[in-house]
Amino acid sequence: MIDAERLKILTESAKYDVSCSSSGSRRANTKGGIGNASVGGICHSFTPDGRCISLLKILMSNRCSYNCLYCPNRAEADVPRASATPDELCELVIAFYKRNYIEGLFLSSAVEGSPDRTMERMLDTVIRLRKVYRFNGYIHLKGIPMADRALVSRAAQYVDRMSYNVELPSEKSLRLLAPQKTKESVLLPMKQLFLEKKAAGEEKGKNRKIFLPAGQTTQLIVGASPESDGQILKLSEAMYRRFSLKRVYYSSYVPVVRHSLLPDRCTGLLREHRLYQADWLMRFYGFDADEIAKEGENLPEEYDPKCAWALRNMQFFPVEINTAPLEKLLRVPGIGTLGAYKIIKARKFAKLDFSDLAKMRIVLKRAKFFITCGGKFYGSDNYDTVKTALMLEERSEKYEQLSLFSTPETSLSVHTGQL
Amino acid sequence: MNVYITDGTENCFYTAVFNACTDKDCIVTSSCAVQLPLGANVVAVTADGEKCTRVKKKLNEYAPHALKDIPLLLRRGCANKEQTALEYIRLIMEKKAPVKDMLSHPAVIAATEEMRKVTLEAHRFTGFLRFMEGSGGIFYAPFEPDNDILELILPHFIRRLKNQPFVIHDTIRGKAALYNMRECAIVHTDKKVNVVLSDCEDAFQKLWKEYYESVNIAQRPHEKQMKGYMPVRYWKYMPEKH
Repeated sequence: MIDAERLKILTESAKYDVSCSSSGSRRANTKGGIGNASVGGICHSFTPDGRCISLLKILMSNRCSYNCLYCPNRAEADVPRASATPDELCELVIAFYKRNYIEGLFLSSAVEGSPDRTMERMLDTVIRLRKVYRFNGYIHLKGIPMADRALVSRAAQYVDRMSYNVELPSEKSLRLLAPQKTKESVLLPMKQLFLEKKAAGEEKGKNRKIFLPAGQTTQLIVGASPESDGQILKLSEAMYRRFSLKRVYYSSYVPVVRHSLLPDRCTGLLREHRLYQADWLMRFYGFDADEIAKEGENLPEEYDPKCAWALRNMQFFPVEINTAPLEKLLRVPGIGTLGAYKIIKARKFAKLDFSDLAKMRIVLKRAKFFITCGGKFYGSDNYDTVKTALMLEERSEKYEQLSLFSTPETSLSVHTGQL
Repeated sequence: MNVYITDGTENCFYTAVFNACTDKDCIVTSSCAVQLPLGANVVAVTADGEKCTRVKKKLNEYAPHALKDIPLLLRRGCANKEQTALEYIRLIMEKKAPVKDMLSHPAVIAATEEMRKVTLEAHRFTGFLRFMEGSGGIFYAPFEPDNDILELILPHFIRRLKNQPFVIHDTIRGKAALYNMRECAIVHTDKKVNVVLSDCEDAFQKLWKEYYESVNIAQRPHEKQMKGYMPVRYWKYMPEKH
C-alpha cells in the first residue's frame, strides 16, 4: 500500500492540472468486474478551494528530466521527489472506488528518463488496472509528448480520455519557455488520436471497439507569454474544429519561479474567467472566435464577452422573445442555453411577458436591454445608458467574486499549471 | 373544506386524487404535522385499487409523462408535496394533454422545481455516498437525504458495484437496501445500527483524508463555493470532512 507521505507529494504535484471532469464515457461494467462510467460525470467531493474531486488525480512520478521554466516540478527545482509503482496505484484506485470516494483515475507523470519509458510505465498501470483488477471506471491519461506513436494508440484503447497540454499558445513562447517541447510534439499525437478515433467510429458491427470514448482535452497557460486573448481563442477554435477536442482548459499564470523570461506578476483570475466565458460562447452559443475578439485584441474586463459583442452589434437588438429563433435568443446577453430552451418550450403554450420570464427564473438584469416581450421594451434607447448599466451590473458581481478569492498578495504564492 | 390524509404511498395518493381532483377547496397530505384549517373535515384515505387504476389510466391517456413525474414528486421530503402533485394533475385533467412544457404555468413551475430537487439530490448522492468496509466484507453506507431517494440511487450502485455485497441505509427514514451480488431487498430498519469495521478501513480513510488535504490549493480559498456544491448537512458521513 502506498504511504501517506508519497501520496501527498504525488498529489500536490498533480493538483495544478485544472482538468477534473469524468463525463463523456458510457463504459459498462463487465462480468466479474468493478465499476462503470457515468456519461454525465459525477463529483464525489469538493475541496475548500471550491474545486470538485471526481478523479484520483496523481502523478506516477515527479522526478522530471525536463526543465520547463513555469513548472514547479522542473528538473532544477528543489522539491521533494517520489514515485509510485503500478500496483500501488491500482490498489489505491480500487480501494477508493469501492468506497465511492472517486469516479476513476487521472494519471499523469513527470518525464522520468525518456518519454517512451515514462509512457510505458503509465500504460502498464492502465492495462493492469483494466485487465488484472478488472476496473471499468473512468481513466483520464495524460499524454507524454514525444512518446512513441504505438504507445499512444495502445493507451487510447484502454482509457476514456487523453490529454496533451499545449500550455503555451504560440510556437515562439514554447521555444522560449519550454525548450524540450515543440509544437509538433503536442499537436501530432492529438491529430493521430483524432484520426484513429474517427476510423474506430466508422467500423461497423463486431469490429467496433471502444476507442477514447470521452475524447481529448488540453490546457493553456494564460499570461506567461504575451499572446492576446484573440490569438488564444483562435487557437482554441482551431483545435475544437480540427481535433474535435472536448474541452480547452485555461489556467491563469502565477509566478512560482523568478526568471527574466517570465513575467513576475500573476495574471488575474478575471482574465481566465473571461476566456472561459468566450470558450462557452464558441462551443454552445454558435459564436466564431473572430466575432468575440479579433486576432490582436483582448477581451474587455468591464463586461462579459457576450455583452461586449451585443454592444458592438446593437443593430440585431432588441429581439422579440415570443418569436425570435433559438440562434437569436442564444445571442442575448444574460440568457443562457437552459433559459433559451425554456423560452422556446413555454412560448408554444402561452405568450410570454416580463413577469413570466421572471417567474421562470430567467435573469433579466442584462437581458432587459436587448429584448422585447409582446412588443414591450423595458430597456433604454440611449447607448451610453445601456453601457453604463451593464458595467455597473458587472462591477457589483466582480466585487463579490473577488472577495471570494484570496487577496492579490496571497495568490502570488500560488503555483502554476504543470505538465 | 375536506382534508384528505393519505398514508404516504403512491396508490393511496391516487385514490385521494380520485375525489380531490374535483373537490375545489381541499388539502391532500400525508403529513401528520399539518395545521388543520378551521372547520376542516378530515377524510382518512385508504388505498383503493379501482380508483387508483382509473386515475392512472386517465393520466396515461392525457399525459404519459405524469406517471413518471408524480412518483418523483411524492419522494419530496416536504409537507406540501401532495398538494403540488395535485395541482399538477388538475392542470393535466383540465388541458387533457401533456403539460410538462408549459413552463410559464405556476403549477408546472412548482412541480418542475420540486422534481428537480429530488433528482438533483439523487445525483449528488451518487457522488457523496460513502461506503465503509465491514469486517465480513460487506460495505455499509449510511446517509441522510432530504428526500426519499434510496430507490432512485440503488440501480446506479448495483450496476457499478455488482460484485460487492453492500448495504445502503437511509438513517432518517429507517430503511435500508441490502444487496448480496444476486438480488436486492429493501427492508425497514432501526435508525441506528452498529457496524464492526474491517481492519484496513481506518487506513484507507486516513489515506483519503490525506489526499483530500493535498489536492486542495490552500492559497485560493473559496469555501462558499464548496458549501454551495456540497451542503454542510451532507458532511456527516464523509470521512474527509471529519
